[in-house]
Amino acid sequence: MRNALELDDVRKRYGPVTALDGVDLTVAEGETVALLGPNGAGKSTLLAVALGLLPATSGRATLLGRPPADALRAGRVGVLPQEAGLLDDVRVRELVATVAAMYDRPPPLAATLRAAGVEDLAQRLVGRLSGGQRQRVRFALALAGGPGMLVLDEPTAGLDVDGRRALWHEVKRRAGTTVFATHYLAEADAYADRVVLLARGRVVADGPVDAIKALVGGGEVRFDRADVPEGADLARLRALPGVRGVHVEGGVSGGGAVALRTVDSDATLRALFAAFDDVRGVRVEGVDLESAFVSLTAGTEQTEGPRR
Amino acid sequence: MSAYVRLELARALRNPVGMTMLTVFPLLLFLLWAKVLTVAPPAQAMVSMATYGAMGGAMFVGGAIAMERAGGWLRQLAVTPLPAHGYVTAKLLGAAAGVLPSILVVLAAGALLGGVRLPAGTWAALVPLIWAGVLPFAALGVAFGYTFRGQLASLAMMIVYFGLSVLGGLWVPVTSMPAGMRALAEYSPTYQVGSLGWRALEGEPPTGLSLAVLAGWTLVFVALALWRYRRAL
Repeated sequence: MRNALELDDVRKRYGPVTALDGVDLTVAEGETVALLGPNGAGKSTLLAVALGLLPATSGRATLLGRPPADALRAGRVGVLPQEAGLLDDVRVRELVATVAAMYDRPPPLAATLRAAGVEDLAQRLVGRLSGGQRQRVRFALALAGGPGMLVLDEPTAGLDVDGRRALWHEVKRRAGTTVFATHYLAEADAYADRVVLLARGRVVADGPVDAIKALVGGGEVRFDRADVPEGADLARLRALPGVRGVHVEGGVSGGGAVALRTVDSDATLRALFAAFDDVRGVRVEGVDLESAFVSLTAGTEQTEGPRR
Repeated sequence: MSAYVRLELARALRNPVGMTMLTVFPLLLFLLWAKVLTVAPPAQAMVSMATYGAMGGAMFVGGAIAMERAGGWLRQLAVTPLPAHGYVTAKLLGAAAGVLPSILVVLAAGALLGGVRLPAGTWAALVPLIWAGVLPFAALGVAFGYTFRGQLASLAMMIVYFGLSVLGGLWVPVTSMPAGMRALAEYSPTYQVGSLGWRALEGEPPTGLSLAVLAGWTLVFVALALWRYRRAL
């Protein structure tokens, strides 16, 4: 199978700031890949370099087997860029039709409008639309040329629940290559074949959703304590069997809430009760993608301090 | 690209605010000059105001470019197959089309309300002369559009627009200017564009100096536009 996207040791610096720090990434044709990461992780920069909109400081990007800008000019990729605008003084139908006409073999306009859920808005002036409606029009522009590959940067920003569901339904239905950036973990979990986790300009994890969850171990043990553990207490918590990470949060009444990431929750629990007599409200949870996300993007195996 | 040109033509011709500014305003000024104050002969005021309105239409392509840049539309276009020069070309063609109504409205007002009587050949010559004459100002507009962001571009252009219009004698004939200002005025692009029409009223072709000065300014404006455009990409 051919690769739709290849990034080879891509670096991007803005003056002293390193936005991408040696990213290698391959997306096969037909794959749906979620690019996940906190704000400032470099998601948008990565997509901009992958699309040839920004030159990389070093490294190479190839899109559909050619330089990215060529692939865009050839109309092979439908893109929903972040923070792009629309023309306000034209009707939705007019705008989508004009963009569709820039491509060689666009699908019928009615099909595009329906797929993006903007049929009912076709005669409306773009300038009179709500934020969610505008986002749907932008999705329609990404679909307008009937591209084999979609690149969507935060595609559901501003969409309501129905809008999100409709957008993902359409992405699934197309069954082409899709790369999307999101900070909604649930979206990556539900719609991507593969998750690429980005933090501080580096890929910190890359694999199927299940594999990403497995990376951080089996579960999480949470409990409350009368005091926020610090110093020696913290070291003892870290030393408990199976523990891979410790999260501490100040409680409302001076107490602390603690979360232990563990690969063996049974062993951790037994040792926890033996070592500390003041733990209360113990619960064991499976790792969800959100926890995996926090753990992996924090970089080191141990994370402390208040959770956001 | 042809679809985008069509969209720009449609937008240029149905923009109510722009059309009002570029037809009604020069029309009212013409009536004020020719009918109320009678400071200039009606035929001359008619040519001046048609030139003034058309020039505004050409320059304000820059205001539209600046607004569309600030609004992020160019970021959207960047991910389509439309090349950047295709966008500028479409804007320029839209501006060229949007200029025609201001010329036609003021000339019609001259004939119907101002009592201007000219040979048919002169009427026919005035339209393309004024139209072609103001096109270099579209290049100046493009330079503004790629230099300033959003509303700032319109403000900056408004100042240059009024300044050049007054200096070029489109509002008050240069014959009533002090000698020093008048010498300067004769090298302004606006005076030389106006003189294309003013001389046509006398049945005379443009002078060599007019064409040379206009060609020089056109080169300057196009160079400015290309420089600003390339830097903005």
